[in-house]
Amino acid sequence: MTFGILSFGGYVPTFRITRQAIAQAIAWAVPSAKGQKGERAFANWDEDSITLSVEAARNCLAGLSVVPDRVQLASTTLPFADRSNSGVVADALQLGGDMSTEDLAGSRRAGTSALARLAKAGTSTTLLLAADCRETRPGSAQEMLYGHGAAALLLGEGTPVALIRGAASVHEDLVDQYRTADTDYDYALEERWVREEGYNKIVPRAVKAAADAAGVALGEVHRFIFPTSASVAKGLAKILKLGEDRLVDPLALQVGDCGTAHPLLMLSLALETAVPGETLMVVGFGQGADALVIETTPQLAALQASRGPARYIAARRVVENYTMFLSLRERIAFDFGMRAERDNRTAQSTFYRRRHDITGMVGGRCSACNTLQYPRSQVCVKCGALETQNPESLANLIGRVKSYTEDWLAFTPLPPYVYGHVEFADGANCMLEFTDFAPGAVAVGNEVRMVFRIKDFDTRRNFRRYFWKPAPLLAN
Amino acid sequence: MAKGIKDKVAIIGMGCSRFGERWDCGPEELIVEAFKEALADAGIEREQIEMAWLGLFYQEQSAGKSALPLALSLRLPNIPVTRVENMCATGTEALRGAVYAVAAGACDIALAVGVEKLKDTGYAGLPERTKGTFDDLWLPNATAPGAFAQLASAYAARHKIPMEDLKRAMAHVSVKSHDNGVLNPKAHLRKRITEEEAMKAAPVAYPLGLLDCCGVSDGAACAIVTTVEKAREMGFKDLVTVKAMQLAPSNGYEMSNTGWDGSYLLTTRVASQKAYQEAGITNPREQINMMEVHDCFSVTELVVMEDLGISPEGGASKDILDGVFDRDGKVPCQLDGGLKCFGHPIGASGLRMAYEMYLQLLGRAGDRQIASPSIGLTHNLGGHPFRNVASVSLFGLYAS
Repeated sequence: MTFGILSFGGYVPTFRITRQAIAQAIAWAVPSAKGQKGERAFANWDEDSITLSVEAARNCLAGLSVVPDRVQLASTTLPFADRSNSGVVADALQLGGDMSTEDLAGSRRAGTSALARLAKAGTSTTLLLAADCRETRPGSAQEMLYGHGAAALLLGEGTPVALIRGAASVHEDLVDQYRTADTDYDYALEERWVREEGYNKIVPRAVKAAADAAGVALGEVHRFIFPTSASVAKGLAKILKLGEDRLVDPLALQVGDCGTAHPLLMLSLALETAVPGETLMVVGFGQGADALVIETTPQLAALQASRGPARYIAARRVVENYTMFLSLRERIAFDFGMRAERDNRTAQSTFYRRRHDITGMVGGRCSACNTLQYPRSQVCVKCGALETQNPESLANLIGRVKSYTEDWLAFTPLPPYVYGHVEFADGANCMLEFTDFAPGAVAVGNEVRMVFRIKDFDTRRNFRRYFWKPAPLLAN
Repeated sequence: MAKGIKDKVAIIGMGCSRFGERWDCGPEELIVEAFKEALADAGIEREQIEMAWLGLFYQEQSAGKSALPLALSLRLPNIPVTRVENMCATGTEALRGAVYAVAAGACDIALAVGVEKLKDTGYAGLPERTKGTFDDLWLPNATAPGAFAQLASAYAARHKIPMEDLKRAMAHVSVKSHDNGVLNPKAHLRKRITEEEAMKAAPVAYPLGLLDCCGVSDGAACAIVTTVEKAREMGFKDLVTVKAMQLAPSNGYEMSNTGWDGSYLLTTRVASQKAYQEAGITNPREQINMMEVHDCFSVTELVVMEDLGISPEGGASKDILDGVFDRDGKVPCQLDGGLKCFGHPIGASGLRMAYEMYLQLLGRAGDRQIASPSIGLTHNLGGHPFRNVASVSLFGLYAS
């Protein structure tokens, strides 16, 4: 039994907006935007750093019998400043109560720093999650630069798919960019200064220290993960005397910069195609730098086909309309009419009583007739037996659409409001709100996968609640 | 062994306000409008009413909670009054309370009033409200059109009917109802529409368009009931009696089990079978000669034709397009214009349906009168296809 990375995963939301589409909308003020290429990923209205993490975690844990006893969630965009965000994720994954949950915030390095710490003193089986869903001011450089995404690593004792050979961290309070707790947007300082005084001087220190700690020469490291722009990465390669062919693609043209998630997202994607015995250097940057030397093992091959973010990067749905992008991210306050005034107050005592039914989509399986049903109830819906149901989650089941509608009357931030009956195995049937389906994309008989999303915002009391929704199957 | 209430209770007076956007009326004025007509029709004094049932759905957004809105509006002399509610089946529920009270011998004369004042909510359509503390955490925030629209996608898939053809049958349902509403001075909407207009109308919830949906409106309706014996004593000759009243709520089967395929209303089937048994109907298509069903949406009326056993499984669209349910058809449906032309003041609708059957049976339906009415059916449905309360009632002439 060795300590190391037991599994990996990632998630990128399905929506993309092309930089061209953004440029066309803002060219009247920012004519220089016109040359921008590629597209950036952005979260649907019902996604946030908690939901992105849940999907990355599910991707990482798929098919494994290992159950983490600790969940750590690193993000600079945690939805709650005070309410355990990692706790919501743990319940969505149905990990039980006898475990620890930790929120790690305040720095884009929170994910890589946590990994460095685990490398030095790993005990529990830890699910390390990193997610970011940073909003951007319309017309800003960040609007084109940033993406939304999450990554997951499972660490513990076992037969690792990758080992952490060495890690190092340096800290320097160079404010390359910042965001205070009560504001929406990052404030970035001059790129040239950030590159010259920041990346170029700080990253090499951490990289060299990590290589020393791992006992490897830089020349032995096959690939370098610098979660930064191509030009900054090339500059670092020059300074460290590395060939540019050893730089891992930072996903600028397909996804954008996902902040705290980005180094681990790049790592997860690299692990999807890495060969055994490959050495990677992963760097995190932000008021200092973390660097880790990762070496893959022969066990990696067995897991590669069934996880990793590539399938989500491929499942893209391009949005052409800039105002739709702005509205989905609440950068403009679209008028959705009176139905949007609905009071979504949560009765917290009811939620607590039924929290697993909601957060874990736990239904009941009748021990008398074996029928699965949602919600769980005192009396079986099929055979009428009293108090026979055992808890069982529907979250990982594939459903089948039985009926649906596209409702233009009901309120939703992304009209039409799509909902319908979904059938599951062993008799379970549920009417559910659908997500990620384009108009006209649902048909009776479609198979659907369940995803964890925001169900409602309570704008009066600044709360949000979560539930599970059917979404399109991913292409194989 | 209980035999039901066939021919035990007679309706001796009914009233119905004009339905519509009654900006001029609060709930009290609507109640009084309907009650005056019923009182005059029954030829009795208010003091002769011994018990009352109030059907009212919305509370804070409409007339208020408890028995008080009725007791206060009519200044009833401290008689027992009960407010009842079964969503959109509330109107029939009020009648049911009054009917059972006199059938049980608890009193001689009872009153049922249904009222709703929806145009004070400020909404086009039904107001948003919570579904309850647990249901709000997981059920979609569905609208009525969206919930009922799903009957269409499931029905079309099950019977392999192209949606275009189903929409044509649905359009005919609305066209037919409008043709009847033109003849009804109490209806809200009194203009004809065409099939083309219905099929091209603005989408509300796929595949329903604007003209597939009933509107919301204000209204009240009212019935005064007594036993057959008492009615005879009072000198009534032609008696409209209740032949059956049945009710069936969902128990969760439709929404939580794959056994229901989404294309029909299970509760309507249960309630109608029991109603036919109670009334002694063995062949509904032949024996029922007029119907008021819950046409909240055109597709609801369509599937209900099968749920009531009037059309064969999968045969409703053909019957509709063949004119079976038109005014001059075999089993005319919505002779007064239905929910489509009256709108749906929730507490009142079930009683408004009974009102039309009552008028027809007594030959007082004016331009809308059909030739030889003997048995009329009302179908009043509350909730959504997968979770609802269905009531089916039958009315006829005594000893027919």
